[in-house]
Amino acid sequence: MTKRIFYYQLASIALAIVFITAIILVVGASPPSVITAMWSGAFGTVGQFARVIATLAPLLLCASGLLFTFTAGLYNLGIEGQIAFGAIVSTLAIRLTQDSLPPALVIVLAILMGGVGGTLWGLLAGVLNVYGRINEIFSGLGLNFVADGLALYLIFGPWKREGVASMSGTEQFPESLWLPTFGNTDASPIALLIAIAAVAITLIILRGTYFGLRLRAVGQNLRASYVLGIPSIRQLLSAFAICGGFAGIAGALQVLAVFHRLIPNISSGLGYLALLVAMLVGLNAWFILPVAFFFSALNIGSLQLPLDLDLESSLAGVIQGTLVLFVLLARGVSESLRKPSTTPLHKGY
Amino acid sequence: MRLNGLTMTAMNNPTLKRWGWVTALGLLLGSCSPSAKAPDSAPQSPATGAAKDFTVGMVLVGPKQDGGWNQAQFEGIQAALKTIPGTKLEYVDKVNVADRPNVKGSQVADDLINKGAKFVIFNSDDFKDDALATAKKHPDVTVIHASGDYAWKEGKNFKNQPNLGNIMGRMEYGKMIAGCAAALGTETGKIGYLGPLINDETRRYASSAYVGAKYCWENYRKKPAQDLTFKVTWIGFWFNIPGKTLDPTKVADDYYNGGYDVVMSGIDTPEVAVQGKKAAEAGKKVKFVHYDLATGCNLAPDICLGVPYYNWSFPYANSIKKAIDSKYVSEFTWLPPDWKNINNPETSMVGFNEGAALGDNKKFLDEFIKGLGDGSINPFKGPLNFQDGTPFLKEGEVATDQQIWYLPQLLAGMEGSSK
Amino acid sequence: MKVELKDISKRFGNVHANDRVSLTVEAGTIHGLLGENGAGKSTLVKVLSGFISRDSGAVLLDGKSVEIKTPADAIARKIGMLHQDPLDFPPLSVLDNFIVGKTGTGLIDRQRSLRQLQQLSTHFNFNLNHYETVANLTVGERQQLEILRLLSLGVSTLILDEPTTGISASQKTALFKAMKQLASEGKSIIFVSHKLEDVEELCDRVTVLRHGKVRGRAEIPCPDAVLIDLMFGRELAPPLKPQTRQSEPALQLEKIRVDTDRLTLRLGDLTAYKGEVIGLAGLEGSGQQQLLLMCAGLLRASTGQIRVNGVEMTHESYSKYLDRGIGYLPADRLKDGLVSGLSIQDHVALRTPSRSLFVDWKETLKQTVQAIATFNIRGKPNTLVERLSGGNQQRTQLALLPVPLNLLLMEHPTRGLDIESVLWVWQQLIARCQTGTTILFMSSDLDEIMRYSDRVIVFSGGQASHPIAVSDLTADRLGQMIGGRLSDTLEPSVIS
Repeated sequence: MTKRIFYYQLASIALAIVFITAIILVVGASPPSVITAMWSGAFGTVGQFARVIATLAPLLLCASGLLFTFTAGLYNLGIEGQIAFGAIVSTLAIRLTQDSLPPALVIVLAILMGGVGGTLWGLLAGVLNVYGRINEIFSGLGLNFVADGLALYLIFGPWKREGVASMSGTEQFPESLWLPTFGNTDASPIALLIAIAAVAITLIILRGTYFGLRLRAVGQNLRASYVLGIPSIRQLLSAFAICGGFAGIAGALQVLAVFHRLIPNISSGLGYLALLVAMLVGLNAWFILPVAFFFSALNIGSLQLPLDLDLESSLAGVIQGTLVLFVLLARGVSESLRKPSTTPLHKGY
Repeated sequence: MRLNGLTMTAMNNPTLKRWGWVTALGLLLGSCSPSAKAPDSAPQSPATGAAKDFTVGMVLVGPKQDGGWNQAQFEGIQAALKTIPGTKLEYVDKVNVADRPNVKGSQVADDLINKGAKFVIFNSDDFKDDALATAKKHPDVTVIHASGDYAWKEGKNFKNQPNLGNIMGRMEYGKMIAGCAAALGTETGKIGYLGPLINDETRRYASSAYVGAKYCWENYRKKPAQDLTFKVTWIGFWFNIPGKTLDPTKVADDYYNGGYDVVMSGIDTPEVAVQGKKAAEAGKKVKFVHYDLATGCNLAPDICLGVPYYNWSFPYANSIKKAIDSKYVSEFTWLPPDWKNINNPETSMVGFNEGAALGDNKKFLDEFIKGLGDGSINPFKGPLNFQDGTPFLKEGEVATDQQIWYLPQLLAGMEGSSK
Repeated sequence: MKVELKDISKRFGNVHANDRVSLTVEAGTIHGLLGENGAGKSTLVKVLSGFISRDSGAVLLDGKSVEIKTPADAIARKIGMLHQDPLDFPPLSVLDNFIVGKTGTGLIDRQRSLRQLQQLSTHFNFNLNHYETVANLTVGERQQLEILRLLSLGVSTLILDEPTTGISASQKTALFKAMKQLASEGKSIIFVSHKLEDVEELCDRVTVLRHGKVRGRAEIPCPDAVLIDLMFGRELAPPLKPQTRQSEPALQLEKIRVDTDRLTLRLGDLTAYKGEVIGLAGLEGSGQQQLLLMCAGLLRASTGQIRVNGVEMTHESYSKYLDRGIGYLPADRLKDGLVSGLSIQDHVALRTPSRSLFVDWKETLKQTVQAIATFNIRGKPNTLVERLSGGNQQRTQLALLPVPLNLLLMEHPTRGLDIESVLWVWQQLIARCQTGTTILFMSSDLDEIMRYSDRVIVFSGGQASHPIAVSDLTADRLGQMIGGRLSDTLEPSVIS
């Protein structure tokens, strides 16, 4: 990173902070108290910190997946639907096997099937994109609605609780099918391990393999990479599939580790949050961990806003969005001002 | 190498790694060190038996000013705490998957307890798993699940959790009165019921409204039961969640436009009243029956037939007092109206405020209420059949509490799905 | 209105697109601007119509010096330009397109606009359905709409950039009639074209450009030979290429037809031999590129067969073409050939057949360093390709070609390169030919074609001449063929 870009980024964050401060003042709160409240909401107790970790897991998975699609030059807004469909397939697997297989096997199967479901949903967006010529943003958003609708249908229809038809979701699964947690908290070490493994795999594939290199080429210039002999379509579809797979596993974890059932909105907006993380991270997978952790803390800490300050928790979303916007702005500005002669941004291997 | 410098530095310093951003925000915003006000000191203050510093927490499923269920709950707990000096309320409203994604009721309860709550109320049937989980996780905290049945020894779902209790009003009486008012008010003989989601509670209430309506239709209006149409439409949740539930505004409109001149609300929010007012202003002869909140008729007084409502304050106050004195034991509280005066806020958990649109029929309604009170009228008396034609109550048989609470189906004569 | 351009100069990088070009157009006349592609015609008219800014020189309207910085400025000065691809809005209706761009204060008076459109259509005898969507119109109809729209804006100088490409004969007749009518009404018209016959039919006088400079002016009528001399120059460069052609056929085409949106290329039978270089001459867009893309496996022929070294390739995938040692060097290196954002080393890795999952960066680095040395690329292994100069990008592209290379297809192999690079590139290419590589290349630089080809095929409007040995070519003959007078063509006598 050149010094100049470093300063741009610094300036952009300063600007973002000024902007956020202004918003907090406009809604009639004091910025220090907002920070204090969010801080205590995220790190005040072991339980709250555990929730940060619990949210971190799906966030890391989704952000890792999104790095593949971003690298391929795709905006996979369908990630929410991929989480949801993964959760649906995972729930299906649990329902089918919970009475016949030992719990540990059911859990493994549920996670795998979550990945399979997400992969299928991601591939569907890819096929619509590649063969149907539908921009992946629109096909993704459309598939989000479909997956959401499917979850609602199942929750109100075939999978509803006995005698109940409610938004609160399907019947809770027995505790033997819950992922074990750290003590009496919401955080699951298994979920966290899977997520960290996903980040590691992402790093290795994107930096070290031919697949990752080809993906970068396809993302930068589809036509030229085709001329260079790269099977572009296969690359694009693979990116969709991998991203969908990671998102689907995140969906399975939402079912197994967090809600212990299928609920409407099972993705809880974490896919969109992961999009923000991935945008902030750029193509540099190393930063996923701190950025996702920070966003997870904001997300969890925001519950303290209505509790302590009678403020809307959506303020956290404003803060997250503002940061991303300003950092992207700085990136754009520094790139448009970049002189062709400056040292390359790109580092060697 | 594209991220900002802060995180770069943060990466190199393990302690800064996590807090770098927040610290920077804090420093730049107001030189307020985030660690200055450590939250750790707040919880676990020793709970002496004294009423001093007793914090009550409440988890509300909807907005606290929804003009219905949640508002009644919220106003109820506020009134209750006013009567007990030294108590304080912490609450979070809108705890549902749409308004607060990635937040579970049990997590909200954890935070409330962390802020010192020793007594936590969950205000919706949907929180039953959260209430149980919270009670298990915090055995020293009294957990009340309003509308649930886990503490009912004679119920089907008894959980034997000593710090978990249920409080509910016998709203089936309120709903019978409401149904009677609807039957007295309708000209077309078509009553619409805007239902929330489907469960034991909502089936119970819709059916109560129907049996009340049927009784008054036959006995006061002197018309045959088959001339009465009673239709239930479920929207899927306690209030509108765009894209996920049916839109209650649209459902209410469909009723009013479809010849249903009386619409009863079974949901938390006042769409039935609001759309009824609009229809009336447009010249339609329509009336409505509200639900949940004592002041519900104020939304459109001229066309309001009445409102059955809950009085949460005194049962909550009773339980809180017991908890303060460490005398709370798990109990299933299911309180009927005080038949001496069903609108006495200190003694009657279920009340009915009659609306102006009743007109001369008020005398019939009063007669009906009196009959319910002295036991001379019991609409849940056989013969009654379920919607699918199977018998519910034989000739002369009176429904037990369990039969009413766990009503498995809507009743014969009602339209709308049972499950 | 009298339009004068005085000493207009415009550089793009180190290319002199216009070098002190002057042009005077009298009111009521049609002035032709003639020259081969890349001669600087478009640059000149774009300066006049505000699409690009000049480096020096002056624009005078009726003797007064004016500044035209944007297309809107030009419209305000009553100068309108009809682009080769009309700048319209395909999803909108004819009427809406007609209204777009009108200045007004707020509300649109559709009825008034409709009446105006009807009047103008009748006046010029254009037959347009006013409610049809523009996307459904032919190029000719879109031109007519654009002309009417410009006239409704009060334009008195009309520039037409290659308007006769892609329109039917009857549309051309209608267009020319309208132009003459406009001239007779006192409008000045600038007609940009590379087609001799069109200029001779329509224009009053003509200015010929070559390599960014005015090469001459003439009154019409004027003999063809004179105009062709002006367009292409009297002298052709002498052939430089050593004999590398072998007797074995390398590329065999039979009854090929290629259909694209803009053009149908009809090609009969063609055989190129091992070690041979065939230059494809002609104005850009005459079908050369289609031939190259088809031979590279990037464009399917509608009919016909293609064989490389005796192997049937007609229905094979692009990757099979690569496997057979067929290479393609596109003209737009950063758009079609190299991937911006990736380094030279990344490109080398991409072209390495991957036997394993992981990239062996050490080995790749070694190969890259070697390629950089062999191909004399000024750059480091980790230099991003967009940071390389044009010459070094071309060297990088050459370094990435498959080995062994049986057939090489190139678009403008030395465009934008300095002399040193040009010589170096051809030296490398000829060395390849000596090992049996066959080269087909297109170029708008006739000197390059003359110097390095064994045989030349001239393209015009989708037709191709028989291959002609460079030794048999004269400037006259080449010029006439490029100008559209192909004596005998490759087209098979019977086309189904």
